[in-house]
Amino acid sequence: MKRKLTLLASAACLMTAATASKADPSAGQATFEAQDCVACHYTEGPARETTIEDQLAKTGPELWYAGDKFVAEWLTAWLADPQPIRPMQFNSLTDENPGDHPALDAGDAADVSEFLMTLTSGVVEEGVVRVKKNAKGRQIFTKKMPCSGCHQYEGRGGDIMGGRTGPSLVDAGARLNPDWILAYLQQPETFKPVKMMPVFVGLLSDKDMANVASYVANFGR
Amino acid sequence: MKKITKLAAIAALSSQLAAPVWASETEVVYKFYCAQCHGLTGDGDGPNVTEDFPVTPRKFADATEMAKLTDADIRNVIMDGGPAVSKSPMMPPWGKTLTEDEVTGLIGYLRVLCACEGP
Repeated sequence: MKRKLTLLASAACLMTAATASKADPSAGQATFEAQDCVACHYTEGPARETTIEDQLAKTGPELWYAGDKFVAEWLTAWLADPQPIRPMQFNSLTDENPGDHPALDAGDAADVSEFLMTLTSGVVEEGVVRVKKNAKGRQIFTKKMPCSGCHQYEGRGGDIMGGRTGPSLVDAGARLNPDWILAYLQQPETFKPVKMMPVFVGLLSDKDMANVASYVANFGR
Repeated sequence: MKKITKLAAIAALSSQLAAPVWASETEVVYKFYCAQCHGLTGDGDGPNVTEDFPVTPRKFADATEMAKLTDADIRNVIMDGGPAVSKSPMMPPWGKTLTEDEVTGLIGYLRVLCACEGP
């Protein structure tokens, strides 16, 4: 009897702790708005940009499909300790990324991450991309349609290689959902109708896009 | 002297255009897509051109080299990428990204940057 009570008490404690530490998307949304994150990031889809001017008017990436794009654990950690993802300042070809994204305390970061992970496009099919050292993906990424021209990645000797106008992909495996990478390549008009990156639809097959997604999502793993 | 030639080329291009707005739209297109590698002024020094960039992007300001290219050559390389003209795949195909009019505008814009005509 005593043992049973102890077990029940322990279970109650665990439940309380779990409730206390559980991130709250509503609180996250409130924080997102209170911190004026919306000044740089819009969170309601669909994509609004129809012209280059529309894209250039933005001061940060759209987040209306953040739940498709990011790995939740990475997002929570990044919000608490944001490090530059893009070598260059957003939309700039002349200015380095100043690395001045505001940081949130751990609790707010967890809540905001929880909120952002609720934002999805509804078009990303999960479980499609198998992440691995993908030789075909590597060949496309570095040679055939060199994504490396605009995106940094970790070369074979550990050196950081690649161009600087796109987001760095050095830790893409920790940051990005492999299935979203594929969907982004397949449906650029859904996620980013106006972007500096070429459209590869009709140039790369779905299979090759999946190979690229598999290769990129293996970075940093 | 080179400056005068460039100004003359700009004037000539401007007179060919139906509306000056079109030229400014082309400049926006150039700076958004092409300048990443070819540089804002066409010197081949965009921010992607790091020390491990495997090729030297075309310098559009180089009239000697640019004068060797026909407008059709330029259209082909923009639409289908470097391999279409036996050049590097570092120049990706933009045919699925740009409209025909945007490519036509860019050809004219590059002719302004090089202050040259094709063969």
